[in-house]
Amino acid sequence: MAAGPPTAVLALRGIRVSGRDRPRLEDIDLTLAPGERVALLGASGAGKSTLLAVANGLLAPEAGTVLWEGQPPARSRRGRRRQQARIGTLWQDLRLIEELTVQQNLNAARLARWGWPRALLNLLLPLETDACAAALRAMDLDPALLERPVTALSGGQRQRVAMARLLRQEPTLLLADEPLASLDPRLAAELLALLLAQAVAPRALLLSLHRPDLLDGFDRAVGLKDGRVLFDGPAAQVNAALLADLYGGTPPGVRP
Amino acid sequence: MKPAAPLLMLLPALVLVPLAVLLPPMVHVGGWELIGSFAVAAVTPSLDPVVLASLLAGLGVTAGMALLGWAGSLVLGLLLGACSSRTVWRTLTGSELPAELIRRLLALPRAIHELIWGLLLLQLVGLQPAVAVLAIALPFGALVARVLSDLLDALPTANLEALRAAGAPAPAALLTALGPALLPGVLSYGGYRLECALRSATLLGVFGLGGLGTDLKLTLQSLEFHELWSGLWLLLAVMLALEGGISLLRRRWLVPGRFVLARRGVGERSREMLLALAALVPLCVLVGRALGVDPAALLHWQPLPGLGDGDWAATAALPWPRLVGGTLLLSALAASLAVGLAPLLLLLVAPLGWARRGLRLLWALGRLWPPPLSALLLLFVLEPGVITAAMALGFHNLGVLGRLLLESADATDPAAEEALVCGGSGPRLALLYGRFSGLARPYLAYGAYRADVILRESVVVGLAGATGLGSQLLESLSSFAWDQLLALVTAYALLTLVGEDLSDRARRRWLAAA
Repeated sequence: MAAGPPTAVLALRGIRVSGRDRPRLEDIDLTLAPGERVALLGASGAGKSTLLAVANGLLAPEAGTVLWEGQPPARSRRGRRRQQARIGTLWQDLRLIEELTVQQNLNAARLARWGWPRALLNLLLPLETDACAAALRAMDLDPALLERPVTALSGGQRQRVAMARLLRQEPTLLLADEPLASLDPRLAAELLALLLAQAVAPRALLLSLHRPDLLDGFDRAVGLKDGRVLFDGPAAQVNAALLADLYGGTPPGVRP
Repeated sequence: MKPAAPLLMLLPALVLVPLAVLLPPMVHVGGWELIGSFAVAAVTPSLDPVVLASLLAGLGVTAGMALLGWAGSLVLGLLLGACSSRTVWRTLTGSELPAELIRRLLALPRAIHELIWGLLLLQLVGLQPAVAVLAIALPFGALVARVLSDLLDALPTANLEALRAAGAPAPAALLTALGPALLPGVLSYGGYRLECALRSATLLGVFGLGGLGTDLKLTLQSLEFHELWSGLWLLLAVMLALEGGISLLRRRWLVPGRFVLARRGVGERSREMLLALAALVPLCVLVGRALGVDPAALLHWQPLPGLGDGDWAATAALPWPRLVGGTLLLSALAASLAVGLAPLLLLLVAPLGWARRGLRLLWALGRLWPPPLSALLLLFVLEPGVITAAMALGFHNLGVLGRLLLESADATDPAAEEALVCGGSGPRLALLYGRFSGLARPYLAYGAYRADVILRESVVVGLAGATGLGSQLLESLSSFAWDQLLALVTAYALLTLVGEDLSDRARRRWLAAA
């Protein structure tokens, strides 16, 4: 069914999600090939978060199909969990578990693959320290932080721990909902570079972005407006006119 | 190697390991048939109108005793609470010393369980409806007083000082400055006490003080399980209606809610609250008339035997270490079962919606079912002793703790759990990591409070055989051994006071770490 190799990491076909007075998503087609880094642009309320919720399986669309690595959502509970384990989400509010240490938080990303004994042991002993330390290093963090409670971290450190946890999950699809919204410009650029560096084949990245000036490292940009795809093309082609159209308030005469 | 928060919550459940070893030899085969017919009767309760009418009458008496006892405890608690508040005494006289003194004195009625009060009063003034009412009102009043004075003394006193500086007389200033701020706390705690009062009134009935509890015990003893279940389902309906009503009022009056503007908060509804309180007065008078409560009859005391005639040598010869040890073991077992099983069961049923509803029902039955009746039921298949008693007491408190845990779990932010599910972890591990992490410390703090309640309550399962002070106390009561009774009640009170102090410390520690 997939249109020749390589299989798309994520394929959305004709997705519709209705809202209270108008559809939140309508007729969405979107494909992510392995190694592709795609930025999702759009004004607030354009449907970026809804699209990401469909992409990570949190929200089942009313119409259309979702394929993860060529497969529709699995019927069985176990199959579905295996699918979810390959989808990594970087949440805007990070969703770290405040009462646990950094290491326990990183290992929480392994729960999908671990059974009860290891899940319980992780609450008692430091497990898989090497892998956790490597994940921290990949995010430019000192492995000495592993034993610290996450409440003791600075805002930037927390962001990096959340990204390290994403790596511990070893997903093929990386999703991120405005992960840079609350960061200062220099830190945002730094963390985005770290995230982009992780998105190499067979992995793909879909990231919603509220700052078009950070588009540099992306291969593609997808613009959403009122729940529909307004454009989908190389990130380099995004220009002022396109953005003005996307974010509304278009000055007269700029329309392409 | 320090266990992380969610693991701490499950540690008490380790008590199941020794239990699994000790329980099988205690089982005797004879009673399983009875347990079977008891279970079948749950779905085939008796619908005989005569039975139902008599059960309803009993339920009315129980509810009436609960209401009167509760109302009495509120009045008593308000008065005594004001009397034991440091702020009140400082404002009125400039000295906090009387408050301390009264506070210490009140520890005694608080430490004695309502069942002991009930049985003692029964011996003193004979069987009459007022006994159960008073038995509930006295210890509950002392409890309300303690909570109230703690609330009072924790309030900021800036308003009060401003009013005093402006020349307001002390009583008026106290009422104006502290009254409105106190009302929500009092009503919230008062609502909880009404739920407790219904459970206590049922329990007192089991020990012969009238109402539905008496019917329940008689039907159990005569193995009329169908009638027993008719009574239980009726009681369940009343209990759930009461709990639902109270939480409704709580939401309406106390929690302004995130989406409600502040001006519609506590202040504007206070008139409604006061009206509801005022409506209680005629209601209580009517109920009192209907039950035939006669306060004057309480004054006719049976002559007390002189304490000088007591056989103190025999009293001292009681096996005290074994009695105290048994009571402590019983309380620890029951508390561990209740505190540990609630999160464990919630984890087990996490992926199954229907099982969650089943668990809710099981917990409601646990709250409803008086522990002595569960103990009697367990005795059909288990040897008498501490373990049987602990299981009965643990099941009852599991119902209380489980409901609290489920409600707090539903009220916490689902984000972390959702994130874990999204990353492919199973529903049970997601619940453990995502939700229990945040709940663990407040839950254990409440568990510490509950353990204190369990210690106090351990007397009620005294009829399950050698269980320590509780069983000895019931025995001494039935043989009218006043000397022993006095010594046992004193020992119980001392133990509870120590327990209360320990539980307070544990609670403060858990909450401080949270």
